[in-house]
Amino acid sequence: MELNKLTVQNFRNYSNLQLEFSTGINIFLGANAQGKTNLLEAIYVLALTRSHRTSNDKELINWQNQTATVSGSVWRDNYKLPLEITFSKKGKKALVNHLEQAKLSQYVGNLNVVLFAPEDLELVKGSPAIRRNFIDREFGQINPKYLFNATQYRNILRQRNNYLRQLQLQQAHDLVYLDVLTEQLVNYGAHILLARKSLLAKLEKVAHQTQQAITDGQETLTFKYVSAIKLTELADLTAIKTALTNKFASQKNRELQQGTTLVGPHRDDLQFLVNGQNVQSFGSQGQQRTTALAVKLAEIDLMKIETGEYPVLLLDDVLSELDTKRQTHLLKTIQDKVQTFITTPSLSDVARHLIKKPKIFLVEAGKVTEE
Amino acid sequence: MQYPEPITQLIASYMKLPGIGQKSATRLAFYTLGMDEEDVTGFAQALIAAKRDLQFCSICGNITENDPCIICQDTSRDQTTVLVVEQSKDVMSMENTHEYHGLYHVLHGVLSPLNGQGPDDINITSLVTRLQDHSDISEVIVATNANSEGEATAMYLARLLKPAGIKVTRLAHGLAVGSDIDYADEMTLIKAVEGRTEL
Repeated sequence: MELNKLTVQNFRNYSNLQLEFSTGINIFLGANAQGKTNLLEAIYVLALTRSHRTSNDKELINWQNQTATVSGSVWRDNYKLPLEITFSKKGKKALVNHLEQAKLSQYVGNLNVVLFAPEDLELVKGSPAIRRNFIDREFGQINPKYLFNATQYRNILRQRNNYLRQLQLQQAHDLVYLDVLTEQLVNYGAHILLARKSLLAKLEKVAHQTQQAITDGQETLTFKYVSAIKLTELADLTAIKTALTNKFASQKNRELQQGTTLVGPHRDDLQFLVNGQNVQSFGSQGQQRTTALAVKLAEIDLMKIETGEYPVLLLDDVLSELDTKRQTHLLKTIQDKVQTFITTPSLSDVARHLIKKPKIFLVEAGKVTEE
Repeated sequence: MQYPEPITQLIASYMKLPGIGQKSATRLAFYTLGMDEEDVTGFAQALIAAKRDLQFCSICGNITENDPCIICQDTSRDQTTVLVVEQSKDVMSMENTHEYHGLYHVLHGVLSPLNGQGPDDINITSLVTRLQDHSDISEVIVATNANSEGEATAMYLARLLKPAGIKVTRLAHGLAVGSDIDYADEMTLIKAVEGRTEL
């Protein structure tokens, strides 16, 4: 899918703006604090009805006005789909093909976007919980059964932790019920682990190729799934269930002492290895950034494999953090494949000549001109 | 300015009902003032009767006027099957099918430690004693809701009752009767395929 037109009214620092995009790479070029990211935000909002920068929709409305409107037209398999979203003090209104949608969930999904912002570096640098959330969110988008199992798992985990706490404080005594909760957790946990195993293998394959491409074959990216059970040796659901059940049995006394669940996919982690070394501890800033980017880009390809369509890619301030070599390979990897929007304060000559017919927009104090 | 005491009392009483706030309670209270005295007396008596004349059946736990309840007293019903439900309302739903002719047991809740309901807090002990006293009961159908708590309750009952040689069954998951496949959500469809039956 591609976004070929965007109209923005009273949104952030823009009073009235109309832009036409290329189906390849579009670049918003300008100094700091001129409104580059606001344009990416407008595209993000048009796709998902909410901003990635704020939870308060009122901030999106230009301070001198009452309502803000973002509209655009999306190309999907040979037909044009107009989308529009309006924010006012009363709330928001979303229109598909000029018809107002009663539920926002019916609106979302008409334009898929993937955003890569500087904060996404946390995927590599941050805590395991950030990576688990990434896995659950992305796989949940692709696979509804994964989403169901993950939701059930989270629910039962809360019940089980609460019950373990009651057992620890001697407020409850029935261990048969604890076994039931364990069995439920093993059941949903095994489904999650099996799905993670197969989807991570697919993601790893694409991320590996992307990392090779961005680094000109110098860096090899592999994934290592860290879990209390040896997932790589377990082939099917029954084997995973048995391994989890045994692990729970061996940890039962410790769980009763500590009053919390110690085994399961909610305690696992995903490590990224570059040339065999954990990039979180041993990688340079540039390597960490490239890895995070390769994983995000791989996610786009996985979406294409699983759902059949590429989303629109938004890259916020990514180029300036990469050396010219990495920039070159990144741009080579994405062009001809995904419609991309990039913000950057400066554009190296290499990048400028490399991109086939890039559309460059100069952004200055809320005015946008085509170069 | 304050309303006269009787009206404030009435508003406060209405506000104890679920879903009724200050505004609705005030509207209802003033409507009550305009009602016929006969209707108001009837209303008040119905409220008291519902509380005083109803009790829980000592056998199945369902709400009833006389203990034991009509269903438990009815010897023409199938005495070998007990259907376990979460609440009294569910008994009415099953009865309206006119297809199930066995007995019931009402748990008055579902296992959920987060809501402070453990195995001792719902009506499970009385089910176990009931099964011990009536050895002719051979099957227990667990009809708890199709969510993780309902499932945990069903699994707990199965672990408790199976060693005693009682058959424990669970209601099926799947497509709603008369529904269109294109309106069903993905998980319902997946469950329906898993629980398919041979023709």
